[in-house]
Amino acid sequence: MLSKVSKDWLGAGFVTVLGLAILIFVPILFDLFEVLQMTKYVVLSLFVLSLAYIWGFGGILSFGQAGFFGLGGYVFAVAAINMGQTTVPFLIAIGACALFAAALGYFMFYGRLNDVYLGVVTLVVTLILWKLINHTAGPEYIIGKARLGGFNGIPSIPIMTLPWRPGQEMEPAQMFQYFMAILIAVYVLLHALIKSKFGRVAISIRENEVRTGLLGYDVRFYKLCIFSIGGAIGGAAGAMWASYQTFVDPNIFSLEWSAKCLIWVMAGGVGTLFGPIVGVLALEYLSFQLGQTELINNLIVLGTILIFLVLLLPKGLFPTARDLVVKVWRRRGGSTGKGSP
Amino acid sequence: MTAERAILTTSRLTMRFGGVVAVDQVDFTLKTGELRCLIGPNGAGKSTFFKCLTGQLKPTAGSILFADRELSGKNTHDIVRQGIGIKTQVPNLFDGLPARENIALSARQRHSQKRSEEITDEMLELIRITALAHREVGSLAHGERQLIELAMVLAGQPRLVLLDEPAAGMTAEERGRLASALRDLAGRMSLIVVEHDMQFIKDIATEITVFHRGRVFIEGDVAEIMAHHEVQEIYLGKEADGAA
Repeated sequence: MLSKVSKDWLGAGFVTVLGLAILIFVPILFDLFEVLQMTKYVVLSLFVLSLAYIWGFGGILSFGQAGFFGLGGYVFAVAAINMGQTTVPFLIAIGACALFAAALGYFMFYGRLNDVYLGVVTLVVTLILWKLINHTAGPEYIIGKARLGGFNGIPSIPIMTLPWRPGQEMEPAQMFQYFMAILIAVYVLLHALIKSKFGRVAISIRENEVRTGLLGYDVRFYKLCIFSIGGAIGGAAGAMWASYQTFVDPNIFSLEWSAKCLIWVMAGGVGTLFGPIVGVLALEYLSFQLGQTELINNLIVLGTILIFLVLLLPKGLFPTARDLVVKVWRRRGGSTGKGSP
Repeated sequence: MTAERAILTTSRLTMRFGGVVAVDQVDFTLKTGELRCLIGPNGAGKSTFFKCLTGQLKPTAGSILFADRELSGKNTHDIVRQGIGIKTQVPNLFDGLPARENIALSARQRHSQKRSEEITDEMLELIRITALAHREVGSLAHGERQLIELAMVLAGQPRLVLLDEPAAGMTAEERGRLASALRDLAGRMSLIVVEHDMQFIKDIATEITVFHRGRVFIEGDVAEIMAHHEVQEIYLGKEADGAA
């Protein structure tokens, strides 16, 4: 009989081991182009975790997660260009996004904004950032050595440097492993947070906000913390994206990124951490393959797939597959607890 | 003597919604350890009164003194931490979670993980719902949900418990279980129970407050209220004659 702690960590442990295996073996088994392609998926997986956590485990549906993604990218770009290394700028980007989320969250949650209003505010703030950055094309918009560049964006952003040797840029394989290690660490930390008292209260807020308040928990404060954590993760992903692309432009704030993030979470499964990562991998890989064929607009195909997913697998890909496995396992006489990897 | 001290006093408590006065200058006092029933027709202001006491609604005027502290204008979580728990009219639970976790979440607000598990076990036993511990509450019957919500509220170890129609939708057996639990609790904590079922009220209470049009219409012991002609006529109907 498994103990409660073992059950809680069974799924997460499996995902972590899988992640470590990918971290070690992908650079050995795949060529440079494929490693670069997979690095992109790793960054987007971290991005999707930011929404998977706040929506799935805190009940906060943000339509503007791209705001943190973009802000992280821009803050990192400006700091890295000025500092000539990337470790401190990376931390600055995370901190700036957490603070921005906390400031925005303060007005939303202490102002008792909920449901659709929260979605509208987050979306509008992201679009304001998009507009704002688009209007910084003039030469006066320069921070230290970094020109914001308006709609042209910021080119020549430094590639991630080794934390212990700030002058040395990472090789593609090293960058993949670095990003993968960050993704695994964030996944494990989020899982631990979900299993803590803080996480249980966050889930209770998702389930029933009024009752949570009536049990003596300050719902506003908890939501503020959840939102800030999501902002920090989104910012980290944005910084990694900017460094991976060595370029960032205002489109990072666009509705398309926010919508994609929502779709990945929905497709993978709201209420899990691993599901949305599956959503990213499945839909981005499909999108990539469709883009190569040029036979049909890939957005039409993806839209159709999404409709079928919502209609046929409303729980999402991962929870459906997990429930199926549990069902088969039980039929064969085994018993298992449902974890939340 | 502590038992005679007032734990809750409202003075001229008023709650207006535009032109509608839902609670109208209510002066109400509850002694420590007392079990009081509130009765009154729908729209009399009983639930609104409860919402004012728990901070879900900010009163338009008046004061709420709980254990010598002013609560008026405070946030819900602050009020609950002072020691007020509420079981709402429609069971307010975490439907996606098992009953045990619902109750533990309440205890965990004040206690360590280990202690909250112990309190959860005690509450499951007290309300006699141990068999439901691992059932997801969203799949339970209304009466069972009522009992789980009561256990959840008690797990927060409040000094004053507000119960809004706790017996609604319960079977006779569940109702008996609830009445017995409430009788056990009276004295150890203070309780205010909003209820329409007069037989249930007779089973649990000695004192009754009648609300009418947002005001306290009359207060007295069960026999006195049930014999009161106007109360019978307006609120209890003819059935009450037999019950009284």
